[in-house]
Formats: sequence, C-alpha cells, structure tokens
Amino acid sequence: MRVRLENITKQFNKDTKAVNNFSAVIESGELVTLLGPSGCGKSTMLNMLSGILIPTEGKIYFDDDDVTEMPSDQRGIGLVFQNYALYPHMTVLENICFPLEIKKVPKAERIARATEMAKLVHVDMLLDRKPGQLSGGQQQRVAIARALVKQPRLLLLDEPLSNLDARLRIEMREEIRRIQQETKVTAIFVTHDQEEAMSISDHIILMKDGFLQQFDEPQVLYDSPANCFTADFLGNPPINKMEGVVRNGEVYVTDANLPSGVKIDLPEGKEVYLSFRAESAEYNPEASLKGTVIMTSVMGKEKITSIKLGNMEVRAYMDAKLTLKSGQEIGIGFKDTGVFVFDRETGERYL
Amino acid sequence: MKSRFFEKVKPFLYLAPFIVGVTIFTLYPIVNVVKMSLMENYKYLTGDFTGYGFGNFKTVIEDQYFRQAMGNTLKYVAVVIPISTCLAVVIATLLNSIKKFQALLQTAYFLPMVTSVTAVGLAWRFMFNYKQGVINYVLSLFGVPAIDWLGATASNFSALCVYGIWAILPFTIILLVSGLQNIDPMYYTAAKVDGAKPLRIFFRITIPLLAPTIFLVLTVNCISCFKVYNELFPLFAGPGIAYNLFTVVYYIYYEFRVLTPAKYGLAAAAALMLFGVIFVVNMLKSFVEKKLSN
Repeated sequence: MRVRLENITKQFNKDTKAVNNFSAVIESGELVTLLGPSGCGKSTMLNMLSGILIPTEGKIYFDDDDVTEMPSDQRGIGLVFQNYALYPHMTVLENICFPLEIKKVPKAERIARATEMAKLVHVDMLLDRKPGQLSGGQQQRVAIARALVKQPRLLLLDEPLSNLDARLRIEMREEIRRIQQETKVTAIFVTHDQEEAMSISDHIILMKDGFLQQFDEPQVLYDSPANCFTADFLGNPPINKMEGVVRNGEVYVTDANLPSGVKIDLPEGKEVYLSFRAESAEYNPEASLKGTVIMTSVMGKEKITSIKLGNMEVRAYMDAKLTLKSGQEIGIGFKDTGVFVFDRETGERYL
Repeated sequence: MKSRFFEKVKPFLYLAPFIVGVTIFTLYPIVNVVKMSLMENYKYLTGDFTGYGFGNFKTVIEDQYFRQAMGNTLKYVAVVIPISTCLAVVIATLLNSIKKFQALLQTAYFLPMVTSVTAVGLAWRFMFNYKQGVINYVLSLFGVPAIDWLGATASNFSALCVYGIWAILPFTIILLVSGLQNIDPMYYTAAKVDGAKPLRIFFRITIPLLAPTIFLVLTVNCISCFKVYNELFPLFAGPGIAYNLFTVVYYIYYEFRVLTPAKYGLAAAAALMLFGVIFVVNMLKSFVEKKLSN
C-alpha cells in the first residue's frame, strides 16, 4: 500500500510544532525508516500514521483513502511497540490471536492463522509460554506476529530494537527485514540509530526539529547529504567537521590555520564548514593541509588514524602499509567523494 | 575484642524494642488464648481450673448462640465481600478514567475512612430510621413501602450489610485505583489499535492485570468482615433484636464481658475457631489464586 503524507503539521501547544509541513510518499512494499535524534518528531509522525494522534494540518492517504481522521482500528495497521506491549496474562498463542478475537474471527481459523504467523517469525515452539518466560528477542518476534496476524496494509514499528542487547539487535533487524520481504507488507520503522536505519531500509526519512531533512536511499543519504545535519548524523566514525573560510576560491581551514586545497566558487570571506568522511582523506606529502599523528589503530587492510589539526582532532583511514608514528607530521589530501562544504549559518551544502 | 562483640549484638539492640513489644502484646496473648481455651472450668479471678481438655470447644460448638453467630458471620462475609468487591472494581475503574475533579472525588470517596465509625454509624442510624429516615423516603419515591430497617429481625441484617459495604468501600477503592495506575497504558493502546471495545478491554485486559490487587483486597476484606463487631454498636447498640445479629466476635465479647461469671475458656475457644475458619478461607483463596495464575 502506498502512503502519501501531504503537508502534515502537528502542533501540541502555541509554541512547539512537533512536525512541521511534512510531505512524503512511501511506495508500496517498501521498508522506510523514520530516522532522527530524540525530539525530532519521528514518534509523533508514527502516532499520526497509526491514528493515536490526529494532525493539526495536512492529509494522510493510504492508497486513495483519506485516513487523516480515521480511527486506528479502521486503518488496517499493525503496530509494534518499543516495549512489545504483550499482554502478560495471555500465552503467546492467545496474544497473537487477540487481534483476530476482536475481529470475531472463528476460533479454529484464528488459531490456524496465528500458528502460521508464529512459524513465520520462528516462535511456533513457544505457543504455550507466557511473555514473561521469553527472552527480549522472542517477545519482539511475538509482537511482530501479533501485528501481522490481521494482515495489515501497513506495519508500523516504534523503535522495536532499542530494548535489545547489541547482538540481538543485529539479529532482529535482519529478521524484521526478512519478515517484511516475505510478507511484502509496507513498513515504517522508527529509530534514532543511523546504523540500524542504513542496514534495514529501502529509503530513509531523516528528520530534525519536526522538519524533513532528506528522503532518499541509504547510500544516497551517505554519499550525497542534503545539508550539514544529514552529513553529521550519518556515518560511523562520524564525519570530520572543520571550520573554514573562503579565500581566493579555496577553503582555508581556520582551525588549523592552513589552506585545505579544496576549491570552491564562493564569495571571499564566506564562513563555511569543511566536512570529510574518514575514508575520503589520503596520505599526501604534497598536500597543503598538514597535521600531527596522535595515534593509529590497525583495522585489517586499513588503519584508522587520529590526526591533530591545529586545535582539533580528525580521524582518517590510511593504508595499513604506511608507517605512521605518533608525533609525525603528515600532509592530508582528499579524494573526489565524501568531501563537502556547508554554509556555517544555514547548513546548506555548496560542494 | 569488645567492639567486635558489640558489633554482633548491635543489630539485636536495634530490634529489641520491637521484639519486646511483639512479645508482650502479640505473642504472649496468642499463647495465653490457646492455653485458656484448653483449661476447663477456668476461673479468671482465682486462677483455678479442673484440667486440660477440649471441653470448651465442645461446649461452644453445641451452644446455639455460637452456631447462630457463626451462621450470621458467614452470611455477612458471603454478602458483603462479593458486592463490595464488584462495586469497588467498577467505581475504581470509573474514577481512574475521570481526568477532571479527580482531587475532589478522591477526598469524597476517602471520607468514610477518615471519619469515626461511631459518628458515621449514628448518621446511618438516622438514615435507616423507620419514620424519618432518608432511605425510606427515597424508596417511597419509587413506591416501595417503608421498611423497619433497624427494628425488625427480617430487615436488620440487610441494614448491617449496607452499612458494612459502605464502610469497606473506600479502602478497597484506594487499593484498586493504585492497582489500576500500575497497569501500563501501552496495553490499552495496543488493544485500541486492534479495535477492542471498552467492555472487552475491561474484561480481557483490565481485570486480569488487576487480579493480584483484587486478591489482595479479598484477603484483607475477608479478615475484616469475619471480625464484624464494631458495626453493631452504632446501628443497634448491640446484636440486633433479641440477639438475632450475634456475630462470632460479638459472641466472644459476650462470653467474657457480658456474662457473669465470665467464661474466659469459652471465649478463647470461640476465638480460636474463628481463626481456624479465616485460615481455611484464606488457604482456599490462595489455592484458587494459584490455579488461576497458571
């Protein structure tokens, strides 16, 4: 099912708009992540999709149905909660059956459908257990089965992995991807973890302060950020961000008091940020930008190197064959990709 | 060395006031009641008794007043507990869902607890009044003929139950409201998103999740209802008309306070038998609770 959001605004009181003039189209069968730091409005957006909240302005369409003010239970959605919200007094089977029981599906059919769903999420051997007897990952699987059993048009997942430990989180995100692809349900996944979003999504919607920042495929978001915030938010290690100013059509790094060698067509004296990904820097003795090696740590064929540049520190991947000693001065050149110039005031991207 | 010895004794010194209090005011009386119940023909003033045996228990069981008292008490528990619990669950659920005036309502339903049983009991006595009572007046509006609530053996048990239910409600409601507030609202959200209607949510989610609190309430109220006694004085100044409202605790009081010479042995035996009944009922309740939770 295709989800169309048109100029959605949600205002809780006079001063704060949790979501601001938000428009997006989510294509059928895709898994789209709502990503952003806490307080960015992503949960508010999800609650409006689920019908728990009604937008102040704007329209929500599921295919061609206007569902903006439709009650949750008529929208045909399945919701997976952060804390799973499994009913503790019901067994796994009863939990998965409950949405069908409400819909007055005959008992034999609902047990058959629930069992089938339990098989899909691999909890069919736990049907008689109570939620309290399950691990976090198993509870999450049951919660997904319960959300999917009534065959929703849209599956909404509200930070479903944040209560799991690191290993389970990776396992479960792959599971969610597998289940979503097997059922071909359109899914919207809320998270604040950029790595999770990058690995699981067809598209990512990045939000900040209620505004949509960028809506693209994960790789595009990474390679071609729309603004300074997107560049800062994605990537591990985080992008290196240096203050700079334009001099003679080149970014001069004020933090290091050295020219960077990055050419840009901007007015003289323009204040900018020069950002580069760790893998976009290279060892270049001829480069005008020079720094002092603080330490290196080997990571297979590359080593990550911390370099002191004036009063700040940057991190860059260097070829493992290079011998770099602490205290050594090296020149830092840049590759063609992963180097960006942003406006220091607006965050707008120039390069 | 001295300080190490002191370190070992110190915890017991802290506990001493409590242990002394419990020994004097709880343990000693319990042991004494058991002892007294077994002493036959015990004279309190002289301390004389003819020997140990189960004669007191036999006498009590055969006493028609005791049988009546036990019957009344069981009947009282059987009426007051289910009605008060059901009412309290409904009221607590409604109170919990009201957002406005909650402070005002909380004071209102807490009122019976902070007022003196005797004073309020007297007020109920006026309300129950045959000729001028507000209860009969309200009933007359619906065409119900006046009932002699307090003065007739046919209806004074009902009056006792009404008053008993009213008196037990506030404490029950407070416990249940706190139980309701401990239920995570996400369960309700989850059920609503799936389209569950209020009644189904109440019976399939609220009640099962509230069950531990309901069982706690049942235990506490059962014990207090088995000990029904205080309620008799403001309403009837005694056990009703011609002793028709004898309760077990009133029987105990009657044996050693009203009768002369006082029969301490019989009172002690009756007290132990009441303890036995309460014990059995609570064991049954725990058994049911365990069965249900599995």
